[in-house]
Amino acid sequence: MLELKNITKVYNPGTVTEMCLFKDFNLTVKDGEFISVVGSNGSGKTSMLNIICGSIAADSGEILINNVNINRQKDFKRYNNIGRVYQNPAMGTCPNMTILENLSLADNKGKPFGLSFGINRKRSDFYREQLESLGLGLEDKLNLKIGSLSGGQRQAVALIMATLTPLDFLILDEHTAALDPRTADIIMELTDKVIKDKKLTAIMVTHNLRYAVEYGSRLLMMDKGQFVLDLSGDLKTKTSTDDILGIFNKISIECGN
Amino acid sequence: MELEMLELFVSTVTEGLIYALLSYGVFITYTILDFPDLTVDGSFPLGAAVTAVLLVAGVNPYLTLAIALATGAMAGLVTGLIHVKLRVRDLLAGIITMTALFSINLQIAGSNLSVEREIDTIFTAPPTLAVFGSLSLIYRKLIVSLLIALICKLLLDIYFRTKSGLLLRAVGDNSTLVTSLAKDKGLVKILGLVISNALVALSGCVVCHAQRSFSSTMGTGQVVFGLATVIIGTTIFKKIGAVKGTTAVVVGSILYKMCIQIAISLGLPANLLKLITAVLFLVILVFGNYRKGSVRDNA
Amino acid sequence: MKKIISVLLALVSILAVTSCGKKSIPLIGINQYGEHASLDNCREGFLKGLEDAGLKEGTNYEIDYQNAGFDDSIATQIAQNFSSKNVALMCAIATPSATACFAAAEDKDIPVIFTAISDPVGAKLDSGNITGTSDKLPVESQLKLIRSVQPDAKTIGIIYTTSEPNSVSTIAEYNEKAGDYGFKIESVGVTAQAEVTQAVDTLINKGVDCFSNLTDNNVVGVLSSILEKTNEAGIPVYGSEVEQVKKGCVAAAGIDYYELGRKTGDMAAKILKGEAKADEMKYETISEFNIYVNSDALSALKLKLPEDIAKTAIESGK
Repeated sequence: MLELKNITKVYNPGTVTEMCLFKDFNLTVKDGEFISVVGSNGSGKTSMLNIICGSIAADSGEILINNVNINRQKDFKRYNNIGRVYQNPAMGTCPNMTILENLSLADNKGKPFGLSFGINRKRSDFYREQLESLGLGLEDKLNLKIGSLSGGQRQAVALIMATLTPLDFLILDEHTAALDPRTADIIMELTDKVIKDKKLTAIMVTHNLRYAVEYGSRLLMMDKGQFVLDLSGDLKTKTSTDDILGIFNKISIECGN
Repeated sequence: MELEMLELFVSTVTEGLIYALLSYGVFITYTILDFPDLTVDGSFPLGAAVTAVLLVAGVNPYLTLAIALATGAMAGLVTGLIHVKLRVRDLLAGIITMTALFSINLQIAGSNLSVEREIDTIFTAPPTLAVFGSLSLIYRKLIVSLLIALICKLLLDIYFRTKSGLLLRAVGDNSTLVTSLAKDKGLVKILGLVISNALVALSGCVVCHAQRSFSSTMGTGQVVFGLATVIIGTTIFKKIGAVKGTTAVVVGSILYKMCIQIAISLGLPANLLKLITAVLFLVILVFGNYRKGSVRDNA
Repeated sequence: MKKIISVLLALVSILAVTSCGKKSIPLIGINQYGEHASLDNCREGFLKGLEDAGLKEGTNYEIDYQNAGFDDSIATQIAQNFSSKNVALMCAIATPSATACFAAAEDKDIPVIFTAISDPVGAKLDSGNITGTSDKLPVESQLKLIRSVQPDAKTIGIIYTTSEPNSVSTIAEYNEKAGDYGFKIESVGVTAQAEVTQAVDTLINKGVDCFSNLTDNNVVGVLSSILEKTNEAGIPVYGSEVEQVKKGCVAAAGIDYYELGRKTGDMAAKILKGEAKADEMKYETISEFNIYVNSDALSALKLKLPEDIAKTAIESGK
């Protein structure tokens, strides 16, 4: 369970560009929830993710995972329990290393990276299985360098890599935004499948209102560092994309976007 | 006359093998870590300075190899800490360490230190003579240097296949991924710098054994040498995927030394030496890049 | 793979063709550390020395002159080249070339003769099949010279390169002997040419009465910029060698590098003729020095050379 309590974040305090992004921001994510977060640019979606992951520090407030305060934990330490897929397909994989090497790396997450052999041939079958589930034909290309794959393929591998080892949370940071519509759909379906299969708790930030509506168990819309919409369960299933779009436009016009 | 040429060839290849250790080091930082490390200009003579002092003091010549590795490792550690903990840019961190090492080397061995012929080096000490005594000094230097270069290469090749080695490769390829794997990318970079500079100092150590001297100016330009050999080696072997980077840079180092020796042997006006060397490099690189009807690589 | 082999084969064959030399008459390999007025004078003197000893180039010997461009590893490869050619004699000009030649000749019988090394003992080049000439600066004579031109001067400023062995040992001697002549030495160590002009400012600021040069490559290399500053401040600079006086230093108690080279050539001729062996010859220092003076520079700073010195001084100004 993830809790953000009374998070306050001010950008550039004391300067002309001072901007208070979050003021007493609260969020609770229960185990097993799949949250979609939408909002306009600057609403704080990505900042919220970065605060959770530790890339940005909050000015005050607490971040708790399973009731443990992780405020002081360095960013890389938090990733022990968190998996993250980035918007840029290049950020989730190593282009000059093979698929096998990348998966071996991801497989070792949480364990020491010592002097034992990096690639475990015995796990190759397991990796093939995982790649097969993507349906992209990558299971035969274990020794291909990731750099030669397309953006969508790389993102798919990044997704597998992020979820290969046990996680508390999966953070999806606009991970389909850089893909063409068809590939984006494929990746989104895969994401949903992986989350369901591995029973993950997930937070997905997206600009795609349709995905936000169709996938996930809870929908949040953010604006200026606050939630303006929080739909779960039946309320969510009854909402359509048009409804969300309407609310979105209303907010946007109000801010003069 | 053939003997003459063979001897020259042998001593040139030996130079190439000794300096290949430096190339390994630059390969690790420049190619794998994507970190242009100028510490090399300081850690190379550091290895030689320490070695010269130890040899003159009567320390076991073989032990100097290990000690040189350790001092180089420390130099790399310093650069790493400056870069990671003090958040100084990669290039500058290396420059800072290199500059400091210049003074430190002077303190260790003065501006110049020679090792008398009476003192044994790894090429003349009893254990080496016991195995290779039948060979002349030039061939002994070749064999011993070859052994050292090979052992280092094998160890590196094995290392890059370990988990730690994969992580090292990852940090240069995509450091964000390293963070996502819950590892401190700063520490991984530091490890790379440590290993790299240890090898560079080892190169300086063996050079000191071969030349029986340390000179405080011997480090100048070594990072340029290292980069040149790495680029020459990797360019030539670009098409052949099966050749490991470590092999490529050994070839690069030997080729570089050969080019210089050719320039010397051509008997052209002495000042044109560096120009001729540059032309030879160009020829090799163009030759290595030439592909009939090729498509440019994707960046 | 084929490409690599062909590249290597090509290089090897070029190496083979170019490294073949005629072996009929003795080959002398000259390994000069870098192009530099003093070092060049040495080399020319060396060639003259061989001639004066009755040997003729082309008949009694051939010369292979190589220049390492102030690069230690090139000096090493040049020495290896000479060694593989089994030259009759290696002539090394400056310390890095000498250590390189000595190392390359380690298990062969090739004699090494060096020149322009200030401290052969410190460089451990004083025993074995090696000999030569040392250009130890006549520090005392320089101090005497300065004292005679500037009877009231108290401080001498010296800029030197910390990594040049010659400079370091000479500074030590200056510090040792300066007191005898009533001087104090203010020295600034630099690591590169770029730092020299700042060092000049520092010393002028400290109120030195004059500057004295060592045979320091970096300092001599930027002499004109030094002189610009010192002339403006009205402070004389004493050189260490005739070329510097020509450039504008007021005077110098210096070694004639040409003579030094000639003496070296003479020693080399003895070895070639078989009259002596390098390991039996102790290295020689030139004790003779000349006083070079640049009268224009002297008078511009309102200084005068005392009569007795002026008599034997060699006018080197324009």
